[in-house]
Amino acid sequence: MLTKEELLEPLAKLRTDEIVITCMGVVRPWGLLSDSDLDFASADSAMGHTADLALGVALAQPARRVVCLNGDGSMLMSLGTLATIVDAGARNLTLVVVVNGSYEITGNQKVPGEGALDFAAMARAAGFPNVYAFDESTIYRQALPELLRETGPTFVSVSVVPGSEGPISRGRAEASRYLRTSLRDWSHRFRRALVDS
Amino acid sequence: MTMVSTAKVLHNALVAAGVSHVVGLPDNTSAAFFERLAGEGAPSLLRVTREGEAVALASGLWLGGASPVVLIQNTGLLESGDSLRGTAVRMGVPLVCLVTYRGYGKLEGPGSEPDAMTRADADSVAVVTEPTLRAWRLPYVFYRGDHDVATLQSAFLMAAKESRPVVVLIPNLLE
Repeated sequence: MLTKEELLEPLAKLRTDEIVITCMGVVRPWGLLSDSDLDFASADSAMGHTADLALGVALAQPARRVVCLNGDGSMLMSLGTLATIVDAGARNLTLVVVVNGSYEITGNQKVPGEGALDFAAMARAAGFPNVYAFDESTIYRQALPELLRETGPTFVSVSVVPGSEGPISRGRAEASRYLRTSLRDWSHRFRRALVDS
Repeated sequence: MTMVSTAKVLHNALVAAGVSHVVGLPDNTSAAFFERLAGEGAPSLLRVTREGEAVALASGLWLGGASPVVLIQNTGLLESGDSLRGTAVRMGVPLVCLVTYRGYGKLEGPGSEPDAMTRADADSVAVVTEPTLRAWRLPYVFYRGDHDVATLQSAFLMAAKESRPVVVLIPNLLE
């Protein structure tokens, strides 16, 4: 299993102009590694609707790579989105599912099927052309550049040690810039950054 | 005035409004429109597996600079409640949601009885559709047929001006 740092730090180092969309347990850690106008936290939002939101961004911005860092509990809420992503043909979307087997934000209660689920198999069955599963940091780090380059949609399952993030708020108490304002404000700012660039 | 409602007129109205994508699921009322859209190729048609997914996907499209609408049935409107609240409403997305109104014709009479939610001659989804929209603080208008294109245009203007979702209820079959 990877630590959250082993998952996120290589991505932050490689990242140039990619859009990165986060949810749940990686929202705060990513916000401490990155301060880009092209980061979007699906926080104070609707659980289970990060991958479909990211698909929309990818379809509207076909010239940019979109990296979606989804949770396994969130993915389980919307497994149909795997079929929608493939059907829509989002060639610039890399969907990463952070598999920690638990609802971290609420205290690491186990997700249904914890330890038995095979997200990579689900993605293959849905028709993803590129599917990867990682549980070792060196192999993940070596593969990452290709995951951000290849013609997608690309699905990446990464086994990660459960963390201890608490509920995510928005406002001045949060350290990262994309959480220090309302979802509405950041959404409009994020859109302007994309449309104006 | 006749209540003719045609897929062609609705399609032309969406093109005139600058709609880039239609995201949704078909039902009997909207089937002819979906078929027309698939044949025309523009706006782009995006099929989803559930209605809440349509709302989040459309919100993402808007984030990326596109101008989508959602097209779902009122049953799916209920399904999409938290997605509407947490994405389009919370994000301030000027999203027009076209919602076909199953059971509208049964609202008067059986649908107004105290036991409307359980009786066989009423349609429970119609009974709760407008009360739900009001509870969710979503503005809505009716598109009853081809003569209501101006109402549809007003929905786009309201959504853009107030930067929020606006629901357009479609009670009659699109031919």
